[in-house]
Parts: sequence; C-alpha cells; structure tokens
Amino acid sequence: MHAPVRQSYLNASVGIRSWLLTTDHKRIALLYFAGITFFFFVGGIAASLIRLELITPQGNLGSPDFYNRLFTMHGIIMVWFFLIPSIPTTMGNFILPMMIGARDLAFPRLNLLSWYLYIIGGLITLTALLLGGVDTGWTFYEPYSTFYATGYVILTVFGIFVSGFSSILTGLNFIVTVHKLRAPGMTWYRLPVFVWSTYATSVILVLATPVLAMTLLMLLAERVLHVGIFSPQLGGDPLLFQHMFWFYSHPAVYIMILPSMGVISEIVPVFSSKSLFGYYFVVWCSIAIAVIGFLVWGHHMFVAGQSLYASLAFSFLSYLVAVPSAIKVFNWVATMHEGWIRFNAPMLYAFGFIGLFTIGGLTGLMLAALAVDVHVTDTYFVVAHFHYIMVGGAVMGFFAGLHYWWPKISGRLYPDYWARFAAILAFFGFNLTFFPQFILGYLGMPRRYQSYPPEFQIWHVLSSAGASILAVGYALPLFYFAWSILKGPRAPSNPWGATGLEWSTASPPPPENFAESPTVIRPPYQYDRGKPCMQAADV
Amino acid sequence: MSERALGIQYSTPAQEREAVTLGMWAFLATEVLFFGALIAAYLNYRIWFGSDFIAAARMTKVVLGTANTAVLLTSSACMAMAVTTFDAGSKRAPVLWLIATALLGLAFVVIKGTEWFLEYREHLVPALNFDVARYGGVAEIFFVFYFCATGLHALHLLIGICLVSWVAIRIGRGSLVPGGSTTRLIGLYWHFVDIVWIFLFPLIYLAGRNG
Amino acid sequence: MTGRAVLRCWLALMLLLAATTASAFVPLGSLNLPISLSIAVTKALIVLLFFMELRSSRALVRAFAAAGFFWLLIMITLTGADYWHRTDARAPIDQAYQR
Repeated sequence: MHAPVRQSYLNASVGIRSWLLTTDHKRIALLYFAGITFFFFVGGIAASLIRLELITPQGNLGSPDFYNRLFTMHGIIMVWFFLIPSIPTTMGNFILPMMIGARDLAFPRLNLLSWYLYIIGGLITLTALLLGGVDTGWTFYEPYSTFYATGYVILTVFGIFVSGFSSILTGLNFIVTVHKLRAPGMTWYRLPVFVWSTYATSVILVLATPVLAMTLLMLLAERVLHVGIFSPQLGGDPLLFQHMFWFYSHPAVYIMILPSMGVISEIVPVFSSKSLFGYYFVVWCSIAIAVIGFLVWGHHMFVAGQSLYASLAFSFLSYLVAVPSAIKVFNWVATMHEGWIRFNAPMLYAFGFIGLFTIGGLTGLMLAALAVDVHVTDTYFVVAHFHYIMVGGAVMGFFAGLHYWWPKISGRLYPDYWARFAAILAFFGFNLTFFPQFILGYLGMPRRYQSYPPEFQIWHVLSSAGASILAVGYALPLFYFAWSILKGPRAPSNPWGATGLEWSTASPPPPENFAESPTVIRPPYQYDRGKPCMQAADV
Repeated sequence: MSERALGIQYSTPAQEREAVTLGMWAFLATEVLFFGALIAAYLNYRIWFGSDFIAAARMTKVVLGTANTAVLLTSSACMAMAVTTFDAGSKRAPVLWLIATALLGLAFVVIKGTEWFLEYREHLVPALNFDVARYGGVAEIFFVFYFCATGLHALHLLIGICLVSWVAIRIGRGSLVPGGSTTRLIGLYWHFVDIVWIFLFPLIYLAGRNG
Repeated sequence: MTGRAVLRCWLALMLLLAATTASAFVPLGSLNLPISLSIAVTKALIVLLFFMELRSSRALVRAFAAAGFFWLLIMITLTGADYWHRTDARAPIDQAYQR
C-alpha cells in the first residue's frame, strides 16, 4: 500500500511551462543542475581527449591546432560554465534561502533571468566551440587572440560576456537575500558557514565580473575594429589586457573555492557530531579570502613583463591570502578531533577535499615565490596546482554537497556503500592523474603542448591512467542517484542528524519551504552528547 | 509598488522597499566597476604614454563637452525635483520634472552626436577614418577609449531616458503612487549615469589644456 | 529634499563645473589632473549625498555605495604600481646582444 504522495516543490505544479517559467528557487536550482551537469560532460569529454592524446609523445589524435582548440574548450567550459556557477547556482539557490528561514530569494524573477542568461551564453559559446572553436587558451591573451588567431573568438567571447550577467545577478540576489530575508532570531553570527561563504562569493561575483565584462568588450573592440589598443602595432601594451583579465580571473578562482569550503564547513561538524571549531575564525576567514583575493592577480604575470616592484607586491600579498585558507583547514581538523566520526559519503568527500586542497594550497605558495615561479611557470606544475584546488578542492566539495543535500533535494536516499566507493575511487583516480603532473612540471614539461620529449612519457601514461579511474568515479553517482529517484527509500527530514533550518522541513520541501516561518533560537552546529540541537524552535 | 501583491518571501512592504533599494545600490556598484575598469585602463595608459596620450585629448571639443556636463547636471537636479514633488503627493509636477529630465537627456545625446560627427569630419574615428599618419598610434588608442567610454555612457543614458519616460507615463496614468520605490530607484540610476559623466569629463576633455 | 535644497545643489554643481573647466586652462603642470579629479569627486559627492539621499540613508546602504568605489581604488592603485614603475631596463641576457 503506497502512502499518499505529499505535495512538494517537485509535484506542486506540472508541465514544462511550470518549470521553464518557475520563480521557485528550488526548481531554478534544478534547472541549473541540468545545465552544469551537461557542461561538466562537455568539458570532461575534452579532458578525456587531451589525456588520450598525451599518452604518446607524438601527436596522433589530430593536428597541434586541434589540440590547442581542445584545451581551450576544456578551460572555457570548465571555468565559466561549470565551476563558477556550480555550487552557488545549485546548492546556493536551493539551500541558502532555507538555511536562513526564507521562503525564496529576494528577487525570484531575477533568479530565473539569471538562468536564461547562463543557458543562452552557454549555448552561444558551445556553438562557437562546435563550429571549430578557438586556439587561444581560456585566457585569450592579446594580440594573438585579436590579430592572429583564426577561429570563432568573437562568438566564444560574446557567449562568456552574456553569461557574466548571470553571475552578477545571482550574486546580487544572494547578497540582498542574506541582508534582508533572515528569519526571526537568525542573527549574522547564527548563520551557517555555508551562508557566509556564499555571501563572500557573491561579493566577488558582483565586484569582479563587471571588470571581465569590460575586458571582454575591449577584446571584442580590438578584434572587430582591428585597432590594437593592447597590441604593439600602435604602441599598446599587451600587459594591460592581462591586468584587466586577471583582476577578474583571480578572484574568480575564489568564486570557485569559497562555496566548496562552505560545504565542507557544513559537513564536518555533522559527521563529527561536534560543533565547528572556531566559528568566528572560519566566518571571517571567508570574508578575508574574498577581500585579499582581489589583491593578488599579478602573480599570473610574474614573467610577463610587469615591473619588479609590482611583482614583489603581488608575491607578498599572495602569501598573505593563503593564511585564511590555512586557518580554515586547521579549524576543520580541530572540529574532528575527539568527535564521533561517521564515514558516510559526504564525509569521505570532505576528507578528500581537506587533503587535496592542502596540497594544492601549499603548491600555490611555492608558485607565489618569484624565484620558483620563474622556473615552473607555464609548466605542468601550475596545471597540477590549479587542478588540485579546482578538482581536488572545488569539485570534491561539489560532490560532497551533492551527496549531503541529495536526500533533502530529491526526498530519496542513495546507497551509501556505492557512494563511498565512488568517493574513494575518485580520490585515487585524482591523485594518480595529477600528482605525476607536479613531477612533469618540475622536470620542465610545458603546458599546452601536444607533443613532448619521450623521457616524459611515463608520467603522462600514469596521469592518463588516473584520468580513466577518475572518470569512473565521477560517472558512478549518475547511476546510483538515478536509482535512488526510481527505487530509493524515502528520506526523512533530517537523515544525517544535522542542526540547520533546512533539516527542520520535509524532504523534499514544500513549495513555500516551511509550513510556518521558523524562529531561530540557537547558533548552528550545536551538539549535546552527540545529539543535534536544532536551530529552529519547536522541532 | 504598493499596488502589487507582496512576494511570499517578504513579510512587510517596508522590507521589500529596503531590499529593492539595496538591490539597486548593488547593481550600481557593478556599474562602478564596469566603467571603472575602462577608466583604470585609461589612467594606466595616461601614466605610461605620458604626453602623447594627453596631446590627443586636446582634440576633443571642450566647449561642447562642458555644455553637455551642464545639461546632465541640470537633468539630475530635475530628477531630484521629480522625486521630491512626487513624495509630496503631487502628480502633475513630477511628470513635468521627469519630462524635463528626459528632454535634457536627449539634448545630451544630440550634442554628443554632434561631437561625434565633427570628429568624423576631422578623421578622428578609429577603424573608420582615423588618420594615423597625422595623429599617431597613441592618439588612435586614446580615441578608441573616447568612443568606447562615451558610447557606453550614451547607451546607458538612452536606457535611462526610456525608463524615465516610462515612469512619467505611469505616474500620469495613476498606476504609480507615492509610497513605492520605483521612481526613487530610477532616479538613483539616472544620478549614477550623471556621476559616470562627472568623472569622464575631466579625464577626456580637460587633459592637456594647460599648455 | 526640498526644492530649495535642490536649487542650492544645482548652483554648487554649476560653479564647480565652471571652476574645473577654467582651471584646466591655467598652467599648473602636474597639478591640473589632481585638481580636476578633486572637483569631480566633490561634484560626485554632492550627487551621491544629496540627490541620491545617501546623507539620510542607513549605514548599510552607504556601505554598498562605497564598496564599488573602494574596489575601483584597489584596481587603479595596484595596476598603477606596475605602470608607475616600469623601466626600460633590459634583462642581462639582452644586454649581451646590445653590445
């Protein structure tokens, strides 16, 4: 005998129009889920082809020009259409309003517009890439991208330009929401860290993305008008483009990592049954990362020709920005100390994040040293560094959050042992893929090269083998998540024993999130002898 | 906005008004960074190129530019009067002030267009007819900045004129009543477009005139 | 705002405009740029504080208003650090070619 299906946001209204014209933040989150999953696959296919190509020292999967277009596509898709939107637009959209006790974001229709801008921008760039793409690298350095590159630069850049407005509007929406829509009793210092992290991310989205918009506009002006404002023909300075580009693109990497850090800060206390250690430190470190992250962009230009004085300043500031990140790692570990650890899948992903992010972060410090950077810049050392942060960090955090909030979002439980297996597989696959790349880079293997000297081959073979394992680790969740929707047991409102407001409503939630607006009576992550003390009153 | 139903996420109209005001200021912050990036690039080139860059600025039309600045500053005053009289409960006065605002905005666009036409005649338009041999490459870079900055500003101004006209129509019809925030928010946008020009004016028109 | 306050602000703005244009023609060397920018900042402050009502706004609104300008200052200052200190000194390896 089946229990009657309760009304949730999933079945409250039916039909394609109720989804494509929805203003419900939870439905919009799912719309975004579809988009970023699709783009993750496209970027992943590009990555697979790259790793396939690099198994042998000579090029054999196409011309060097094709290889250039491949890694450019991989970078553009993964950065702008997967990583930057990933956690904020899916989990931020879905969970943040619930975490603060709100019924929706401050501007729901703007939220829907954000999704359309993202999709339209994504489709424009995808079209350009499928038509033949560009070979400039995701960084579009001038004057190559404006005067010499063949390919669909204008179309590609225009798609990114459009999707940038999606980022800006999303960030704006989150900022106003956190300021104005908190439930009674939800003071700033009772907010879960995920909210603080998303807020910090939103500040970056709002302040950095417009600079990208202007930079891309100037790039388009140069390409369309053939007037070299950043090119030497008229006396222009290619470095000015790099300054403008990296003023956005460095904070962009903090857009990618801060939400993941927020997710880890949610998961570690729950699966340690212990309060987050150093809440105030973690919270203000998120803000510090967002602010200091705007001051370090020149470390991408140490060998480009900027003044030594500027390089010194940027090197020092880059050391500074690592401090708040390290403080967070210490706080997570201190949370686990003398806790009662449960090794469910979300926690395994969190472990993976902490270890891999630490390695990535430390190698970042190595790169911040001017002397070291001169040696390893534009080698696989840099490639390994940022993949440790972006894949070992951000993507692991994304999967952690996915596994953590899946019961809330879908109302179903997934088989935990398969999920743990996928997490461990991904961890091993990841390390096998990217650790050899540190060695490769140190030995001198340049990045963005299709062919290489034979003495590097063993490391590339190891890396590609790791990539195949990593791919399986990423593909597995598709299967057991699909199974959970079709056949999985129904989830209770609080399957993990967490304390946040989102866990005091049904799984999946009703359209208005809460039957009655909750009142908050205590800070987050409070545990009494291992039992969660819910933030909401009367739960 | 008090005639529309409150969204489920808001508990009071005052909360919605505050949220919408914060939202508009956040949007204006993005515009500061948008135009600011262009201005930062301009300033860096000014430092780096030095006298060649500044010499190019002398070829802008300072009389028309000054007149345009006066026009835009006056339009901001008209916009402020519109908000003030609307708050006071009047209906006719704000509509007239808004029409004045929009007309002054149009006057700005016309004067700007005249300047661009004159620059076209003098072979100062990059990609169209810029005389690099005569003026030099650095001057061409300056004029790319000039046309980008004034073009983007004019685009924002045209959007502002449409918004101001739309508000005037709605107040005239009675579908906007005092107590909401729409008029005030559009006013914020208009004043911001004015502020952008306040900074563009000395950078573009007043450089290199002290010879 | 009252009508008289708007009028006073408008007069101040017109005077500042006259001042900035006039001062541009006075040969003051490198002082001309800081003077014209200072006048621009003053005009902007009049528009921000009075027309845009920041004077009577909550601290949060003022923080939002200030944030954009503050961040812009970061961008100008740090990129300036590069452009102020660019030299034409060649790298040692290039100097070998020079001789």
